[in-house]
Amino acid sequence: MSTSTSTRHGAVAAEWTKLSSVRSTWWTALAGLLVMAASAGQLAIYAANDNTNDDPTDDRGIVTVGSVLIDSVELTQYVVLALGLLAITAEFTSGTIRTTLQCTPSRGRVLLAKAAVAGAVTFALGLLLGGVGALIARPVLGEWGSAPAADTIGDIVAVATYLALIGVLALGLGAALRSAVLTLTVLLATLMIVPLSLQEPDIDVLNRIADVFPGVAGGHFLAGDTEPYPRLVGLLLLAGWAAAALLLGRAALRRRDA
Amino acid sequence: MITLRGLTKRFGSTVAVDALTVDIAPGRVTGFLGPNGAGKSTTMRMILGLDRPTAGQALVGGRAYRELRRPLHEVGALLDARAIHPARSGRAHLRAMAHSNGIPTRRVDEVLDTVGLDGRAAAKPGRTLSLGMGQRLGIAGALLGDPPVLMFDEPVNGLDPDGVRWVRQLMRSLADEGRTIFVSSHLMSEMQLTADQLVVIGRGRLLADEPIGEVIARSTVAVRVRSPHPDGLAALAARLTAAGASVEAADRNELTVTGATADQVGDLAHELGVRLHELSAHAASLEQAFMELTADSVEYAGGPTGGGAR
Repeated sequence: MSTSTSTRHGAVAAEWTKLSSVRSTWWTALAGLLVMAASAGQLAIYAANDNTNDDPTDDRGIVTVGSVLIDSVELTQYVVLALGLLAITAEFTSGTIRTTLQCTPSRGRVLLAKAAVAGAVTFALGLLLGGVGALIARPVLGEWGSAPAADTIGDIVAVATYLALIGVLALGLGAALRSAVLTLTVLLATLMIVPLSLQEPDIDVLNRIADVFPGVAGGHFLAGDTEPYPRLVGLLLLAGWAAAALLLGRAALRRRDA
Repeated sequence: MITLRGLTKRFGSTVAVDALTVDIAPGRVTGFLGPNGAGKSTTMRMILGLDRPTAGQALVGGRAYRELRRPLHEVGALLDARAIHPARSGRAHLRAMAHSNGIPTRRVDEVLDTVGLDGRAAAKPGRTLSLGMGQRLGIAGALLGDPPVLMFDEPVNGLDPDGVRWVRQLMRSLADEGRTIFVSSHLMSEMQLTADQLVVIGRGRLLADEPIGEVIARSTVAVRVRSPHPDGLAALAARLTAAGASVEAADRNELTVTGATADQVGDLAHELGVRLHELSAHAASLEQAFMELTADSVEYAGGPTGGGAR
């Protein structure tokens, strides 16, 4: 093994040790589970209700468990992205960023190691959340739900992929902005507020712009849309945002005094 | 070996470190002294590649810190004992550091043992560590990679007298092993006991870089004279002043003389027939030498120096 690979592995192992040795990581994961369980349960109740209430116009017919999962992610993501966010902003608040950069002076290597760990952890958590959400949504939907195995698994993997990329996006932005509150505000704006405001008037050109935003692109990817662009483009757009955030974070770490 | 060449750091219009050129040699303890805001911590952060120099360079073993692949094997540093995640245990903190540089985890237990942190203390979350325990943990982190160069920023802050003595002995033995030890402190008396060489800065400028004995020797030696006869003492003072010494009357019965030796003062007193109750020479402490050196460059006037500046 060359020095370069082993130091890269070392940096990743260090980041995993840091993330797993603080309780907030596990509380965040637990909070994610609870929010996912609550959202999936509630959305499944709504779906079943729409079919059984007195108003026939809102009947949705049979919905897939996967679609309930995907809708649940809209809220759950804000808990999960805290993992990526805290992995860097906690270093700025506690001053450990100096220790981290003393151990690994290459800013790019530090961020890549953090991205690998945050991405892997949020992906694994995403799989778990998807599984738990499916287990709750399925019985609640009852006769109004369907869960073809291959599709559901595909949706769970897509949810995990989406959460991993959002986690990395949060990490990169956190490295650039340093403050957890500021980063969360910018993320809320980027993922929700700005694209929603753009879509509100339903003007074609504004919708087109909104489609480029990470949350919307990720939504198209999750839903398996073919319009306005194929599913893969949605995934690449989201990945592009995550990569751009990492580059921004690296530039900030390189330029600024720690 | 640490090499500073024209090292300069400006924050806006403030010059924190001003064209510092110093070699910090191996095999001895080099004390880094300066009043608050003199630029000590900034200098150390630039050596570690944390702050970017505005000009000049800082090299460790001939290389810039940011180029080092596994820096913990080259340089160990204690910067800020408070810099630990509030929820992370000391042991996990060190384990993460060890992983990052490919250091086996058993080394973590070794350094914890060296700094005297037992298993229970090492398992406590960062927020519950006392400043003294934080210092020990920071020193453990610095020793982790068994590096030839070690830097400590105010290492005895918060330590009890036993701890202070321990740090002193540790630095001594590390230097005796041939390592480069660079330690900043605002405790001049501590430096007097620990350091072989002194680098003194004020307002970011190099004021002195010489063996500690020379710094002390260069500064003034004062002679204290006490006599039960104020009149005789006044006569003595007049003669001494006439001879070019400077005399300060502490009270009616006591003088402090600089610019004359105890022998000269004693001879003169004998000649004048003045009865003396005390005639003592006071070798200047490093504290005094330091005050004299930095008299013109104290950032915050109005009080004695103290506390480590950021």
